[in-house]
Amino acid sequence: MLKNFKVSFFLAHKSIRRGSIGTVILTVTIMSLIFMNLIFLPSIVSGIGETMNIMIIDYTYSNIVIEPKEDNLYINNVASIKKKINSLPGVVGTSARYMTGATYTYKDNFVGGAVRSINPVDEVAVTKIQTELIEGEYLSEADTDEILLGIDLAGTEGKEAEEADLGGVRVGDKIKVTFSNGAIKEYRVKGIFKTKAFTVDSAAFITEKEMESVLGLDNKASEILVKISRRGSEEEYRKKFMELGISEDIKTWKDKSAGLVGNVISSFSLITFISTIISLVMAVVVIFIIIYINTVNKRRQIGILKAIGIDQWAIIHSYVIQALFYCFSGIILGAFLLYFLISYMTANPITFPMGELKPVVEQQLIIQSIISLIAASFIAGLIPSWKTARENILKSIWG
Amino acid sequence: MIEVKNIEKTYIMGKVKVQALKGVSFDVKKGEFLAIMGASGSGKSTLLHQIGLLDTPTAGRIFIDKLNALKLSEREKTLFRLNHLGYVFQEYAILPELTAVENVYLPAMMRGERKELYLKSSIDILETVGLGNRLHHLPRELSGGEQQRVAIARAIVNKPKILFADEPCVSLDSESSKQILELFKTLNTELNQTIVMITHEDWHKEYSDRVIYMKDGLIEKM
Ligand SMILES: Nc1ncnc2c1ncn2[C@@H]1O[C@H](COP(=O)(O)OP(=O)(O)OP(=O)(O)O)[C@@H](O)[C@H]1O
Ligand SMILES: [Mg+2]
Repeated sequence: MLKNFKVSFFLAHKSIRRGSIGTVILTVTIMSLIFMNLIFLPSIVSGIGETMNIMIIDYTYSNIVIEPKEDNLYINNVASIKKKINSLPGVVGTSARYMTGATYTYKDNFVGGAVRSINPVDEVAVTKIQTELIEGEYLSEADTDEILLGIDLAGTEGKEAEEADLGGVRVGDKIKVTFSNGAIKEYRVKGIFKTKAFTVDSAAFITEKEMESVLGLDNKASEILVKISRRGSEEEYRKKFMELGISEDIKTWKDKSAGLVGNVISSFSLITFISTIISLVMAVVVIFIIIYINTVNKRRQIGILKAIGIDQWAIIHSYVIQALFYCFSGIILGAFLLYFLISYMTANPITFPMGELKPVVEQQLIIQSIISLIAASFIAGLIPSWKTARENILKSIWG
Repeated sequence: MIEVKNIEKTYIMGKVKVQALKGVSFDVKKGEFLAIMGASGSGKSTLLHQIGLLDTPTAGRIFIDKLNALKLSEREKTLFRLNHLGYVFQEYAILPELTAVENVYLPAMMRGERKELYLKSSIDILETVGLGNRLHHLPRELSGGEQQRVAIARAIVNKPKILFADEPCVSLDSESSKQILELFKTLNTELNQTIVMITHEDWHKEYSDRVIYMKDGLIEKM
């Protein structure tokens, strides 16, 4: 067995070294492009998913969302819950929010939606909405007649008829808000934000103080957002919260956004799947053709090798080794090219409607791609050489 | 050394049957230099392929050193060829991607011998065939006669029981042919190498001990 392998390796080595350099370069280049293709598109899709995840965490849900138990409209004893949570190491901040149905009116435009309240100081530790103001200022704790609007709600002048916005409200304008409990109040627009995050830009925020006075509530919340320092440990913290005796509904940002990001990713996954299959088929075809042409050209030599007593499997394996050589060299070259491409794209991200897009290369994807390329090359090297080497000796030598 | 008993070989090509060997029997003694001659198409190559275990006859029996060679499996035949037989073909059947010395030591490598040993014996044998200064040349850098001598070196490096040669000089000029035949003769007389060689040149038979003449798939005279 070992001597067979030695002979296979010897023949493969000499064949590559003394064969056509052009063929080697071309094949390795194609294999490297195929490898890049296997990694690149899924990494872009992962990048899109990651961008969306970051947006969701930064602007929509933070890491963990606590909601009222079933059938309850509000969380009770909010101050004590916040105190408990904030005392845990690794918790960066908590933000309690009220949310209630509202209709906004400005001039002839009116839009239905939900108005939220925040404690401006608490919120800063939990989301990054305050960093995305494109006009005006952020709320102060004591503001009572001021409101923050998302750009999609504020709208721009000269809007399209079907757009659900207020038709170009600017900072300083006054809009009327009709709350679901019937209260009506006019607010001055203090700031307008543009996060690009899904649904956030159609939201509106007033202060907690103001909301409590409108709703006539105290120490309650519709949701409590919790920011933790280490993303990925949400589940751990969820358990800790439960151990603290918090009996409300505790959800991670993943639970909350499962539908959203999942749908986007799964609609891409068919595309990546097709692209992966095409890449692998290409790899098989390229290696197959190279090895096939090689064995056809060397039919006579293969016959001679068999005639002088070289084991048929030693011959077949020499071609499989050549195929694997093309495969490994392609992977190595492809990995280099990919590294430069990904580094470049990480340093110079593509700007997407949702935000900046950086490719995310998952380790599992690399392993999977390497294994599938090796498998493809193995099969594509084995079949043509096996077919040729099995031929009758005299037929291979003299046709 | 070799006993050939009533060998027949029929090629079936669609509906046409070609009887290339119609019942051939003869013996070759150890250390004998046998020449096979005859008209083109008389079945010389076919006969050599059968006794060289490169093909399987339709009928008949072949014993090599008392071993019933046709009872061997394909794998055993391959091993037998590797360990006990040597071949020199019509055209220079050496591998273009291997140097002279690599071509010679490949079978030894397959046998699992140690590199120091087979490298030395391969160099020695190449020196014997007069290619001591061509060890690391690729076949395309060698003349036809030199390539054929590499093939001979490869065939004899393992001291095979029998050396088979099918018109080894056919593509060589008479000077190179002479060198090859002298080499065969030396191997035969000095090392007692058994040789079975096909040729169609009358003057070649001077080098052999005995000649078998073939005609239409049968032995005409011997
Ligand atoms: N693979 C084959 N299929 C069919 N017929 C074959 C095959 N090989 C040889 N023959 C036929 O068998 C006969 C003997 O052929 P063979 O090659 O043994 O002749 P030869 O004596 O070696 O001739 P030459 O001197 O031209 O080499 C010929 O009629 C040839 O056409
Ligand atoms: Mg012939």
